[in-house]
Amino acid sequence: MERLLKALSLILLGLFLYSRVVGDAIFFYINERFVTLTLLASGGLLLVGASYYLGNRDEEAGASGPSRARWTGLLILALPFLLGWLVPPRPLGATAMANRELAIGGGPGGLRSVSAPADRATAAVFSGEKNILDWLNTFEQTPELEAHVGREARVTGFVYRDERIGPDSFLVARYTVSCCVADAAPIGLVVRAEGADVLESDSWVEVSGTFRPGEFAGSDIPVLVADSLTPVAQPEQPYLYP
Amino acid sequence: MPARTPFNKLIAAMETQLDHGPEAAAVQPVATPTITADGTAIAAPARPWREWLPLFGGLLALALLVLALTRLAPPAVGDRFQTFVTIFLGIFIEAAPFLLAGSVVSGLIELFVDRDTLYRLIPGRPLPAALAGAMLGFAFPVCECGVVPVTRRLYQKGLPLSVGIAFLLAAPVVNPIVLASTYAAFGLGPVLVGRFVFSLLIAFAVGLLFSRAAPEEVLLPQTEEDAHDHHHHDDHQAGAGLGSRLWQALAIGGDDFVDMGRYLVVGSMLAAAMQSFVPQSTLLALGGGPVLSVVVLLALAFVLSICSTVDAFLALSFANTFTTGAVLGFLTFGPMVDVKSSLMFLSVFRRRVVLYLIMLPLLFNLVIAIFINFYGI
Repeated sequence: MERLLKALSLILLGLFLYSRVVGDAIFFYINERFVTLTLLASGGLLLVGASYYLGNRDEEAGASGPSRARWTGLLILALPFLLGWLVPPRPLGATAMANRELAIGGGPGGLRSVSAPADRATAAVFSGEKNILDWLNTFEQTPELEAHVGREARVTGFVYRDERIGPDSFLVARYTVSCCVADAAPIGLVVRAEGADVLESDSWVEVSGTFRPGEFAGSDIPVLVADSLTPVAQPEQPYLYP
Repeated sequence: MPARTPFNKLIAAMETQLDHGPEAAAVQPVATPTITADGTAIAAPARPWREWLPLFGGLLALALLVLALTRLAPPAVGDRFQTFVTIFLGIFIEAAPFLLAGSVVSGLIELFVDRDTLYRLIPGRPLPAALAGAMLGFAFPVCECGVVPVTRRLYQKGLPLSVGIAFLLAAPVVNPIVLASTYAAFGLGPVLVGRFVFSLLIAFAVGLLFSRAAPEEVLLPQTEEDAHDHHHHDDHQAGAGLGSRLWQALAIGGDDFVDMGRYLVVGSMLAAAMQSFVPQSTLLALGGGPVLSVVVLLALAFVLSICSTVDAFLALSFANTFTTGAVLGFLTFGPMVDVKSSLMFLSVFRRRVVLYLIMLPLLFNLVIAIFINFYGI
């Protein structure tokens, strides 16, 4: 009975990992580059589970081990697939934001505001398809606020409302994940748009617009003034990978 | 103390976990039908599933609780719970492949590594032995999840205490994979060099401190080298083919995974709970100062439980706001002990020793990191 339950726990765990990879929900938990590892582990768990019965059947491998499983141990081990199957998978969203430090760009002090040539300030610079992370990196490389004013952007993220900004604005946000959601760090751009107040928190939008000088929590930053706001479906890979 | 709050929870978790160790061994003869020499079956329970009734009851109760939390609870509670579940599964799914790999290696060691060979390879004198243990990560490139089953198996094979502890603490950092990822994040500089040198030194020092301790005072009874049990596979398997031995190694690895997986689950849950219910800003707001910054990042390293193969990338984001000593401390202390790995230590060591294994690296790291902040590297 014990052997059966152990084998069953391992096989169920393996099937659970496999189901997450196949259903693409795996991208809610870990960085893309570790998915192969999860797939290997799911195969490995099935193999190890099967080994209790495919090996030398006379050998009570379990009983000769250093410690025997008891019902509490198996119950604890069942938690991942119990929670995984009963709780609908969902990526981190606005709720988890409250516990984390949001990066807006330009480090803790915001972007430096220095006077730049007037022609640069008004020139619209085409910037290709940069995501929120690319933009924050750009801000970091060129910390002069004026260098970014007038540049056009189109980004996708979820809506996050911060009490530090007014009702006509919101944050279009994403999480970056380098390993698993344990290291998830929220990043975002401040968006100013008409009709921003009807957008529901945590819903996904595509924002197109132009950067204008603005302010967030006392520091000068580029604010994305939106030309258009399009509700979109949650992307298959909700996190960005630094 | 930086680790005060997580620690209390840790102790509470230990209490619930540990009462199975020695007790489990006592149950053994009753649970399995044993055939004696004269062929009579003794102590085979009439209904084997009865013993497991609490498991099924527990599963049902948990399922109902989870359903209530997701379907019936107010959205504020439900959303928090959802975040907790996502982070918990994230840590667990990320760590499971590494624990499985460690368990399978442990199974292979059990069947294919001869204890005489082990004795021949490990230096006899305490100093070289501890140093060899700290360098063993290059032979077994494991992270902090995989290292625990491997160490336990090596102890059962008679590995000296100091070597195992040095290995346990150093291996998650002192191995080629982590070397590469730290290089990718920080380049060749004081952080890379400091991380490896100090990990080696601290693991070596803590290992050395244990070189005079008696194994029975440090290890759990089931981890100790067992004089009559460790030969059993030789008797059984003398004529067995390679295939059957491989299957058996997998089954032993499965046992290890089941045994340590529960610690991984509890550790991941604790780490996830701290992440979902304790705002990071409370910690990070304390950020400045040569002393406080170190304390904050060491506490964060313990609580976050990030795998050592990628923590360098996260540390990179702290590099602007925190002192060099603090970032270095984050990178050396985190892989040695964190919430999930210290819970897994409980499957190898006695409770008091696990405390030492947290406090000693913590002290060493504090001193080194603060020293660096004042005097440079």
